Amino acid sequence: MPLNIDWQQILLHLFNFCILAIALYFLLYKPIKKYMAKRDAYYDEQAKNAKDRLDEAEKLKNDYAARLSDADREIEKKRSDVLHEAAEYREKRIGEAEAEAEAMIEKAKRDAKRERDKIIDGAGKEIADMVGAAAEKLVFDSTDAAYEAFLSTAEKAAEDAENDEDK
Amino acid sequence: MKKKTVALWAVVALIMVALLIGIIFTGSDEEGADISETMQDAVLHENDKIDFFGLNVNPGFISALIVSLSIIAFGVVVRIFVIPRFKLKPGKFQIFLESIVSFFDGIAKQNSPHRNGFLGAYVFAAGVYIFVSTLFELIGIQWVSVAGESVTLGAPLSDINAAIALGFLSYFVILSGGIASNGLRGIGRTLKDFSLPISMSFRLFGALLSGLLVTELVYHYIALSFVLPVLVAVLFTLLHALIQTYVLIMLTSLFYGEVSEPHVKKEKNKNKKTETAVSD
Repeated sequence: MPLNIDWQQILLHLFNFCILAIALYFLLYKPIKKYMAKRDAYYDEQAKNAKDRLDEAEKLKNDYAARLSDADREIEKKRSDVLHEAAEYREKRIGEAEAEAEAMIEKAKRDAKRERDKIIDGAGKEIADMVGAAAEKLVFDSTDAAYEAFLSTAEKAAEDAENDEDK
Repeated sequence: MKKKTVALWAVVALIMVALLIGIIFTGSDEEGADISETMQDAVLHENDKIDFFGLNVNPGFISALIVSLSIIAFGVVVRIFVIPRFKLKPGKFQIFLESIVSFFDGIAKQNSPHRNGFLGAYVFAAGVYIFVSTLFELIGIQWVSVAGESVTLGAPLSDINAAIALGFLSYFVILSGGIASNGLRGIGRTLKDFSLPISMSFRLFGALLSGLLVTELVYHYIALSFVLPVLVAVLFTLLHALIQTYVLIMLTSLFYGEVSEPHVKKEKNKNKKTETAVSD
């Protein structure tokens, strides 16, 4: 054969390479690929677990957020109720206070009227007494003065007479 | 740090002394076999056959056997002692092994997305074999030929029989992918590229033989055997190893992907039929 091509040696090389290829497949290629696949599966599993946990955490977060939102709503409602109750109570108390004040004013007015009437009644009598007393005083005072005047006139007349006599 | 520097300079000085001694004691006259004969032997292996259990084989086959046995021994050691101790947080050696497998597997998946399980295993084996066997010529193991002369074992693929074996095997792998995916249509697609096995075989052979010839040429003259082989042998061999590995596995993957691509029926005929039916 040209170029020293020898079929027997070609077959020998083929046989040698086939044995090598088979040995390499079982000794290195397959076990290393298997290990790499196993590791990939492990990391995929880890990633999946992490994702599941993340999803779960997200779900819990949403759940808690919803619950917090409910709690906020509830707190708001309770606050509103309390405020409403407080307003009602305040209104009630103000009403009562107003009624009480009204009653007190009425009573005060009644008392004042009664007092005034009483005072007015008392003052009329007193005025009458005072008028009487004043009239009496006035009368007595004028009598005394007339009497005094009379007396002084009399005295003066007596003195004048005496003086004439002496003359 | 100082000790290291001193040691480095000592090594450099020793190399320089060795070079000087070599230059002084080697004459300009070539000795030994004629260069044309050496080159012819390197290509045709007519005078350096080696006995293998009664068969006269080329040195390349012995090289192939040694390479295969070495790789298998390495594989056994790794399988028994390393792989069971693989960790989730990998060490350097684990990363190295995983990177190699991922590289070949990735090439198979990238170029043949529809069917790549077998292709990945094949390109892994072929890639490792081509790379290691090309680097093998750096060692320069000596063997005794049938004629009783010393023969340096070169890269297995610099033997045309090994290159043809690998080229045709790659072609049959491509053919098997075509048959597995598309049956007869796959055979047709593969046979369309009938020149592929020849081109793959001779590309491998040519590339590795050229490396071997250059190395032979360099070593033939004793004066060139100093310093120059460090550049020529190591760089040529490393480049060959990388390039030829990449080329063969890439070609195999590309053609495998092409022939194993599922056949898609053309829509035109369907549309025509529908149109005819509607017009009727």
